[in-house]
Amino acid sequence: MSVGGVGKPSGLGLGVPGTSRRSFLRWCAAASGALTPVVAGGLRGSPEALAQTAPKRGGTLRVAFYIEAATMDPHLSGSKIDRQVYHNLYDPLLVLDVRLGLQPGLAESWTQPDPKTLVFKLQRGVKFHDGTDFNAEVAKFNFNRMKTDPKSVRKGETANIESVDVVDSHTIRLNLRRPDASLLAALTDRAGMMVSPKVVQERGPDLERNARGAGTGPFEFVEWVKDDHILLKRNDNYWNKQAGPYLDQIRYRPIPDDTVKLASLQSGEIEVMDYVQPRDVAAVKADKKVAVVDVPSLASFGYQLNHAKAPFNNKALRQAMVYALDIEQVVKGVWLAVGVPSNGPIPPSSWAYDSSIPAVRRDLAKVKAKLAEGGQPNGFTFSVTINNIPINVQEAEVIQAQLAEAGITMKIKLVDSAALLSDGNNKNFEMISYQWSGRPDPDGNTFQFFKTAQGISLNWSGISNPRIDALLDRSREVSDRAERKKIFSELTRLLHEELPMVFIVHPIEPKAFSPRVQGYEPIPDGMMRFKSVWLK
Amino acid sequence: MALRRLASGPLALAGAAVTLVAVVVALAAPVLAPHNPLKQNLGSTLASPSRTHLLGTDNVGRDVLSRVIWGTRISLVAGFVSIAIAALAGTLIGLFAGYRGGRVDGLAMRLMDAVLSFPPLVLALALGAVLGADLTGVLIALGVVYTPTFARLMRGQVLTIRGREYIEAARALGASGGAIAWRHVLPNAATPIVVQASLSVAFAILAEASLSFLGLGVQPPDASWGSMINAGRGYLRQAPWVVFGPGAALFVTVLGLNFLGDAVRDALDPKLRV
Amino acid sequence: MGRFILGRMVAVIPVLLLVTAGIFFLIHLTPGDPIDAMMAESVDAGVKAELSRQLGLDQPIHVQYLRWMGRLLRGDLGRSIRNGQPVVEDVARRLRPSLELALLAMLIALLVAFPLGMLSAARRNTAADGASTAFALLGICMPNFLVALLLIFLFGVTLRWLPVSGYTDPLEDPVNGLRSLTLPAITLGLALAAVLTRTLRSSLIEALSEDYVRTARAKGLSERVILGRHALKNGLIPVATVMGLQLGGLIGGAVITEYVFALPGVGRLVVDAVFARDYPLVQGVVLLIAVGFILSSLAVDLVYAWLDPRIRYR
Repeated sequence: MSVGGVGKPSGLGLGVPGTSRRSFLRWCAAASGALTPVVAGGLRGSPEALAQTAPKRGGTLRVAFYIEAATMDPHLSGSKIDRQVYHNLYDPLLVLDVRLGLQPGLAESWTQPDPKTLVFKLQRGVKFHDGTDFNAEVAKFNFNRMKTDPKSVRKGETANIESVDVVDSHTIRLNLRRPDASLLAALTDRAGMMVSPKVVQERGPDLERNARGAGTGPFEFVEWVKDDHILLKRNDNYWNKQAGPYLDQIRYRPIPDDTVKLASLQSGEIEVMDYVQPRDVAAVKADKKVAVVDVPSLASFGYQLNHAKAPFNNKALRQAMVYALDIEQVVKGVWLAVGVPSNGPIPPSSWAYDSSIPAVRRDLAKVKAKLAEGGQPNGFTFSVTINNIPINVQEAEVIQAQLAEAGITMKIKLVDSAALLSDGNNKNFEMISYQWSGRPDPDGNTFQFFKTAQGISLNWSGISNPRIDALLDRSREVSDRAERKKIFSELTRLLHEELPMVFIVHPIEPKAFSPRVQGYEPIPDGMMRFKSVWLK
Repeated sequence: MALRRLASGPLALAGAAVTLVAVVVALAAPVLAPHNPLKQNLGSTLASPSRTHLLGTDNVGRDVLSRVIWGTRISLVAGFVSIAIAALAGTLIGLFAGYRGGRVDGLAMRLMDAVLSFPPLVLALALGAVLGADLTGVLIALGVVYTPTFARLMRGQVLTIRGREYIEAARALGASGGAIAWRHVLPNAATPIVVQASLSVAFAILAEASLSFLGLGVQPPDASWGSMINAGRGYLRQAPWVVFGPGAALFVTVLGLNFLGDAVRDALDPKLRV
Repeated sequence: MGRFILGRMVAVIPVLLLVTAGIFFLIHLTPGDPIDAMMAESVDAGVKAELSRQLGLDQPIHVQYLRWMGRLLRGDLGRSIRNGQPVVEDVARRLRPSLELALLAMLIALLVAFPLGMLSAARRNTAADGASTAFALLGICMPNFLVALLLIFLFGVTLRWLPVSGYTDPLEDPVNGLRSLTLPAITLGLALAAVLTRTLRSSLIEALSEDYVRTARAKGLSERVILGRHALKNGLIPVATVMGLQLGGLIGGAVITEYVFALPGVGRLVVDAVFARDYPLVQGVVLLIAVGFILSSLAVDLVYAWLDPRIRYR
């Protein structure tokens, strides 16, 4: 269901969405009934754009991201940008829709006969790009690979899968160790992506650089010239020809500098840009030569606090610091409202979002009280570790000024990304920047951050709270959404108490396009799927 | 007499004037800056130049002019201190190597060659990451990068002077190696060192700007001209004053230092006497 | 002559040893870890341990160094941690864009430096000298990422004459290839032009003060002829020297230009590798750049020795 169009040829008279998130989501909900592929003109409301034209085949879509992909093997991938390419090259078992609902992907349907069993009926007639058939044996092979390959990064996501049984040629059964309500959502991304066993066996580690024939997706891998481009071409034998694919080719290019990336779009050298910086959003929206789509993301940006080190091993001091923050001001002044103040790890686009929980409001009186309670009535000093991205630096400077007003001195320590990750993994920080790109299921934004963990994990704060652990476990056992939502609400309130993290913003990810790009369907996970896209 | 020659020529004067102004601004920053360079004003960010803010405000509402004035300190320190480190280290190494000769000389010069053949930005980047990404780390990193130039220069001078007659005479009269180095070699070798130093300071200030592009250098909220240009480069089209304020300061200062360096060289280098 | 060459080449070995040790320990000392950098979103202790073991990163540092040196002596520069590709292949592929960029930048620099340098030398210490020196110095008085961005906005976005970013292979598509290299080459070339202009200016001034020039002037030859024919010939030697050295440095040194214009060159390769803590890649590339630099300065020395017999026999 594309943006900016009407539902059926007779015209449902739907207005074109404004660029505010709320009206966009409302519109998406209304439009999600339409079946015909629709024109995406008039992303900012010009009446003539409501006209209908049929999609046409052809053209090369040039897409720019800020960094290069790391690997073409979805089971070994640990980086965010890889996923953007995978969603066009590979198919996952399940697919997300605009409301983060679960739709059939390579799995035509699924049932849960009991809490620890999932049965998937697989699509028939699906072939990999190398001609291999996709069937239950192949699915089982893929899951085993994810669980057992020494370099597999999917072990965490598939940890709860005890074993996979082939029921018949197109049916598999997943036997779970424990009930896990978050597993289905995980199967909409890398953990559910199917790779051709023949390619894996014949090509081995070369698959990471050469994915020819490896996927089932609407586009096939052609070549990857490192740091220059990745080229995909249309899969004319795609198993689901409804609404695409139309494009002849997709060409991904890394352009590290944001300003240059935007300039490339404005000068017509690329057609798609993955992220417009908040500072550029106003100007880009005013530019008639560029179309912008605000995608409310699943991301959660903030800072982790080290519970094992002074000063934040002291709960009162953690709370003192948080009350000294003016998060509204940060979101307005730094993020320029390209995002909403965060009330916890769960983003507004999620069904589990609880709008009744407010974001922390500044309260200087409470700061004084908490400082006294924490034994530092005259304030204290600490350092925050951030990486050298301009908006992060800006945010840190603003926070530094806010804290100074309350008598708390924050020093800024700039490091590069690799050092940040190491500092975090080794818990070598007092407060550290953390920007999580988000997952469709609220479990993906919570479990690995707040559950007690030994050794290296994403629980950088080191929090170990039995009530939180219990809630997290329970959230996986229960499958009813309403109940899970209650659990996550309770969790969020507890997180506001214990403060393993300071939650700052749920960013919106504005994506920018050449006006020639039609048919783009923005899904809140921020992944750009080009199957339905065509060029005017 | 060299001073008189130094003062000749409009370029030399311009260079000297600019350098002097820069130093004065750096020293008098607390007095000269119209606003507190750290005071944020999120209600008035990226404001265009006006009477209260002659160079406008930056992305958190700080006065650009005041930041440029205070930034003079850091940029000049980056330039002068790193070159001072390099000149000192290089002079000592070159003196030692040139004087001792033989194996010591060989080793020292191989070491200098090794540093020279390192891609300089990578060396500074790696050193900065190891020493800590703050200003001190950058100063040391730049110092290391520029040391070989001075070492080679010094060594060359030592070799040339060593063979001169007055050295032989001094030695014949019983003066020790150290005394000879101090009283005779050093003063004569000083000239090219000074010339090179005056030229290198400008490069060092620019190098600091390049390093801030890669994430090293002065830690926020302090700023050098380089880090201001780097932080402002995303606003080049909507608020160019954020970049051009520090950019102009950088440009004029580096240009002035270059002119001054040329003038120093013209004045001190006997070969160029026409 | 032969002994001279041999002598110089032997002297290179300890330098390279120092460079290898230097880059190895330096990059290993930087805080941060290649595996952490690779697995930004999916931290898994088991996978990390396994990868560490496979890559030999769990060994003590001196053992890792000796292993690397051992492979080096057998001509094996190792494989990149991030993509498993042999380092040599990675560098070889990135060399051509960097080389093309460097040569084009040189050309532009010469086109700027020659007229300006000659003008400056001929009209020393006048307004013309100041103006042309200032113009030449433009290239090195502004941080080159700023120059790059200004050029992009002017020629790429506003005028749309040239592409903003990216690389097209000139050997495959000469016109578009050259267009894609123009703005980056101007950015680099301006900086180079500054250095060359100053060098040319001072060497011409020196040449102009030589006795034979005084004689020529006394004989009544025009200033232009003196400058163009006599002074220039001798003034060119230092310029050629500087060019040779700069070329060696440009290959690995055009880091910021390559980053801003998104060119797949060697400079960007090594900086990306440093940021990713891709140890073998950093070590290998730095070594190769150092070798390149040493070879180019050796070449320059050889040319000098050939031109000036006195140096040879010292």
